Amino acid sequence: MATAPAAAVRPASSAVLEPAAHATFTFDDTLARYGAEIYRFALHLTRNRSDADDLYQETALKAYRAWDRLPCDANHRAWFYRIASNTFLSDKRKSNRLRSLDADGAAEAIPAASRDDDGRLDAGALLREVEAFIENLPPKQRVALVQRKYLDIGYAEIAAILGCSEEAARRSVHEALKKLRERFGDRI
Amino acid sequence: MATSAGKAPRQTTTIGLKEAASLADDPCDVACEALPARIVGDLTDNDQSWLLEHTSECRYCANELRTYDRLGDALAAAGAIDADVLEPPPLNMPRRDRVWYTRIDSPIGDLILAATSHGLREIEFGTDVEDRAYADQLRQRGAEPVHVDRIEDANPEARANLERAAAQLSEYFGGQRAGFDVPLDWGAMPPFQRAVLEATADVPFGHLDTYAGIARKIGKPGATRAVGNALGRNPIPVIVPCHRVIRSDATIGGYTGGLDKKQRLLSLEGVMLSPGPRPSH
Repeated sequence: MATAPAAAVRPASSAVLEPAAHATFTFDDTLARYGAEIYRFALHLTRNRSDADDLYQETALKAYRAWDRLPCDANHRAWFYRIASNTFLSDKRKSNRLRSLDADGAAEAIPAASRDDDGRLDAGALLREVEAFIENLPPKQRVALVQRKYLDIGYAEIAAILGCSEEAARRSVHEALKKLRERFGDRI
Repeated sequence: MATSAGKAPRQTTTIGLKEAASLADDPCDVACEALPARIVGDLTDNDQSWLLEHTSECRYCANELRTYDRLGDALAAAGAIDADVLEPPPLNMPRRDRVWYTRIDSPIGDLILAATSHGLREIEFGTDVEDRAYADQLRQRGAEPVHVDRIEDANPEARANLERAAAQLSEYFGGQRAGFDVPLDWGAMPPFQRAVLEATADVPFGHLDTYAGIARKIGKPGATRAVGNALGRNPIPVIVPCHRVIRSDATIGGYTGGLDKKQRLLSLEGVMLSPGPRPSH
């Protein structure tokens, strides 16, 4: 006889977003769940390991301190990304310096994997220019592009992370790509 | 729902490119505007089909599509990160004890029991305290609270401590138990208060001591008032029997959980006292 079980069993995947979640999911659980992708986001934003490590550490600390004030029904993933993204944007504003290309920075810069090595002229140089282009985008466009292109995050969530409308998030990515086309279209 | 290249589906409902092109003056405008979306995986399968159909007939747009696809490849290559750096570094975080708490019934009202893996941390008179408010208190005391509806949902060590405390309290309230042997976790309690509470824990069932008496026992005979204050902050009432400590004039003294509870506990242990004129520690 097919009857519904008496006790409601919650699917594990949705549990973290349910209102009761905050009481039973600890900060450690949440960090364990999203830490790796937040670190990846930090690597994409900073493009070097030291800055990514710092951004990740700072993000985790801020998240930890704010954890108590987080509403129970908050989207923990978007919240984490938002802290990382705001930290990055405000660091960027504060220092307003570009990625240092001094000896240390160059040694630590993350090597781009699977570069096109099939003999096309200046492929490596072009990639470095594209990297530099991404770094010099207006910060919000850069965050939106990184999230959409490299982290496969949807616009609704990008909007939640950046605190803008979904349409504005989509437009940021679109504008960044149009600029990319203008800059590199005839050289590629 | 159709997705392209394994990316998340488009979040907004917009008309497809085919329909947009049929409404536009020039379908090439629609095609070129859609190309940036293509390289970040925003196009639906239908949009992709229309785009490919259009570019098979239009050389300008076909060129533009090739350019964008190469830009997409360049972006992907420029953004690629070696797998061996993807492991997050260890974090240097302030540590908090995880405290599991749950609610039980008792003849003196709801009790909230809170335990760590090391022992019972707190007993709170819970009748007028909501779980959320209690969790906030725990956090202010530097703990990381985890609420469980059922004791068996706590982690194994905390669960053992909660179960033992609940069982022994139930026996105590049922008149079947005089002493407790639940492991206690004093946390980061200051040494003076801990000495006061440990001395208090030695006062046997049905017996009384005084604030001055406890002060003498811990070797601080002048600290009567401080003993009263320390007992007023007793985090583990009932099991650390601060209800057995009264004023030297044999009046009842104070009780953080309410004097009625102190009297109730004492009468359960066969001790009858009249309330003093000034209920304070």
